Amino acid sequence: MMHLTDSKGFTDNISLMDDMEDEDFGPSIRCVMFTLENEIYGIQVSKIREVLRVGNIRPVPGAPYQVLGVINVRGVIVTVIDSRSMFELSSKEIDDLSRIIIVEVDDERSVGILVDFVMEVKDIPEKKFEPLSSTKDNASRNIQGIAHYQDNVIILLDVDTMFQDPD
Amino acid sequence: MDEEILSDFLVEASELVDQLNEQLVDLEHSPTDADLLNAVFRGFHTVKGGAGFLGITPLVEVCHRAENVFDKIRNGDISYDAQAADVILRAFDVISDSIEALNAGERDLPENDAGLLHELDMLTKGGAVVIEPEVVAEPVAQEVSLHLAEGVDPDGDITDEEFEALLNQRDQLQSDVMPVATSSEVSLHLADGVDPDGDITDEEFEALLNQRDQLQTAVAPKSQVEPKVELHLDAGVDPDGDITDEEFEALLNQRDLLLSDAEPTPSSHNVTAAPIVEPAVSPSQPVSKPKAATKPVVAPSKPAPKSNPESTVRVDTRRLDEIMNLVGELVLVRNRLLTLRGTSDSSEEISNAVGNLDHVTTDLQASVMKTRMQPVKKVFGRFPRVVRDLARKLNKKIELELHGEDTDLDKNLVEALADPLVHLVRNSVDHGVEMPADRIANGKPETGTVILAAEQEGDHILLSITDDGKGMDADLLRRKAVEKGLMDEVAANQLDDKSAFELILSAGFSTAEQVSDISGRGVGMDVVKNMITKLNGSIDIHSVLGKGTQISIRVPLTLAILPTLMVSFCEDSYAIPLTSVLEIFDYNSEKTNKIDGQRMVRLRDKSIPLFFLDEWLAPHAVKENYDEDKVVIVSIGNQRVGFVVDQVNGQEEVVIKPLGTMLKRVSGYAGATITGNGNIALILDLPGVVQRFQ
Repeated sequence: MMHLTDSKGFTDNISLMDDMEDEDFGPSIRCVMFTLENEIYGIQVSKIREVLRVGNIRPVPGAPYQVLGVINVRGVIVTVIDSRSMFELSSKEIDDLSRIIIVEVDDERSVGILVDFVMEVKDIPEKKFEPLSSTKDNASRNIQGIAHYQDNVIILLDVDTMFQDPD
Repeated sequence: MDEEILSDFLVEASELVDQLNEQLVDLEHSPTDADLLNAVFRGFHTVKGGAGFLGITPLVEVCHRAENVFDKIRNGDISYDAQAADVILRAFDVISDSIEALNAGERDLPENDAGLLHELDMLTKGGAVVIEPEVVAEPVAQEVSLHLAEGVDPDGDITDEEFEALLNQRDQLQSDVMPVATSSEVSLHLADGVDPDGDITDEEFEALLNQRDQLQTAVAPKSQVEPKVELHLDAGVDPDGDITDEEFEALLNQRDLLLSDAEPTPSSHNVTAAPIVEPAVSPSQPVSKPKAATKPVVAPSKPAPKSNPESTVRVDTRRLDEIMNLVGELVLVRNRLLTLRGTSDSSEEISNAVGNLDHVTTDLQASVMKTRMQPVKKVFGRFPRVVRDLARKLNKKIELELHGEDTDLDKNLVEALADPLVHLVRNSVDHGVEMPADRIANGKPETGTVILAAEQEGDHILLSITDDGKGMDADLLRRKAVEKGLMDEVAANQLDDKSAFELILSAGFSTAEQVSDISGRGVGMDVVKNMITKLNGSIDIHSVLGKGTQISIRVPLTLAILPTLMVSFCEDSYAIPLTSVLEIFDYNSEKTNKIDGQRMVRLRDKSIPLFFLDEWLAPHAVKENYDEDKVVIVSIGNQRVGFVVDQVNGQEEVVIKPLGTMLKRVSGYAGATITGNGNIALILDLPGVVQRFQ
């Protein structure tokens, strides 16, 4: 399903490199980690179809401001969202490190998310995650929780609510 | 409940319900048609069987009773009159609703309305003899006891002829609804002097067969044969009036059929003398066991199967969509190659290969497309019922004719057209056709006619609803338009008749003096119009006051592939549906005027509003001079507007792909596609575009 994890050796390597801690036992969530500004975000691997290099994005005049445009993924037109504008960050030029993460919202819909840089795939123990204690209703709706893990703060995105069509 | 079996059952039941819907209405026109009666009976029976297996009791109860009623009807015990039809149709509605509910995921069906069940029971009891018809419900019942012709040694070897005779006998018996009564009486007699122990000759056997047939006819007094030996005129024919050639011919045929009773022919149509054979009766019945090798090939009494089963395969539409997508992809690759060929100094071989690919993809596309095609019958099937119910409610007499039911069109279209058509047909029945008294007063036949027709016209389908009703009054429509404030009197009077008729398509325009629950809420026709426009179709209205109205709908054969005109701004291309494009010319600022803040272009003494699409599509490229641009005149509904575009790139057939998440609600786009050079082009939705400028 997930192209990055196709080779088993790759993920094994990661877990070998990890420092084994006691809390690592128990169920974990496998995430694709990417960065925006200086923060690390994660999306569950099960929700991701593939990660693409940025090609030609066709703008759609009149679309909501978060929408960069559409791309052609093997015959399917996929909307590309700018993750920066989603989190109210200033926009940044697309460069060699930029990637589009194709997320499967449901059987029929997928969405591309433009991110600055895709780091790696990581298993994060479920119990590490805690719900976000935030007063901002709107912003936290898209965040499933945060994890403090190996000296990093990882923000786990909730792609289900993020792309719910209002209708 | 086993979901898998249930879903199989539902697919089958839904089809049966569709069929029944049609058959039940047909039956009202020819209530004695034996084939039809049997088909209806079998329909209820099959649904009952499936429902019983799955333990859906409410469904079983209704089906069972309906089946009983039809059993009586096909025996001639009771007739299928309008009253019976009402009860049966209500029962049918319950069945149809139950199946819909099951389809929708409902698993616990409500108890049946006791009143309806009682009425059904009463209908059944209305027949002369009360016999538990359960026997017929299960044609395999043991009651069928066959009798050997007298004198035939039951232990001896059976000859082919004898076996055949037994089979026939069985068929006959089973077809009879009172097997016990009949079978006991049908005993055949050998002619005097024939040695019962001797070999039977062909003639003797024939004689016995005839004897048996006659006996059965005589013995079963309730069967439809006996009372029908007198000839019957078609309903509505005046017995004292002059006889026409056709009527005489029909009577002759009727007589012939009756006379040929002794050797029943499978072709008997209206006369029910031909034995009725349950299709469920297979040769693997206990009777045929002793000599399974002897094939009952030519059982003469077995009528030919009524209609050939549709030679279709059910395919998941999602799978079809996938194939469609792949094929679309192939088409796009072809487009790309075609573009390449034009640019590079290509060798002949490449050009041949491309030519080949062109052929293959075109064919493949066409054949895959055909798998999506469905006969328009699927939509038309519901109309006999709609018209019947409405006509009864309104006390009108209306005959519905269906033409071109076999015309194929895209599955999506079949579904999308259903609602608009229902609305139009209701309108014809409600507003078009007059009351019987008025019709007679106007010298028209009492019964009005509504014709629903479909035909293919090139790459379009033409659907028309024609009635011979009172037609539309253009003057009345003009007055109404002024009353409703849609336009002033001068404008209204300038409308020609055709434009006046088209007023009924505008929102909030209903001329019905009285709002009925059938039509006349003024929300209908504009919705119909919008739905048709969405399908890239058009509506055309013809009407002659006092003579009738014809509404024609023209829709493309398929929604998946769209011929477009490609235009572009800066580097971005957009596709305009070609069906809407009227003409293209160079922009000339001298030929434009600014009227009330709106730029208009003069075209053959008419001013047409102009929209500069780059204001919306390329807002960053500020443009002073439009003189290099082109104007594309398009028709949107009844309106003509001009779009100013940077460049016109020519025609292209495109595969429509939906725009994804978060873009569905952006108005002005109908979808996207991939062009010959591999880029994405957005397909414009013209009404949406105009909305953006208002």
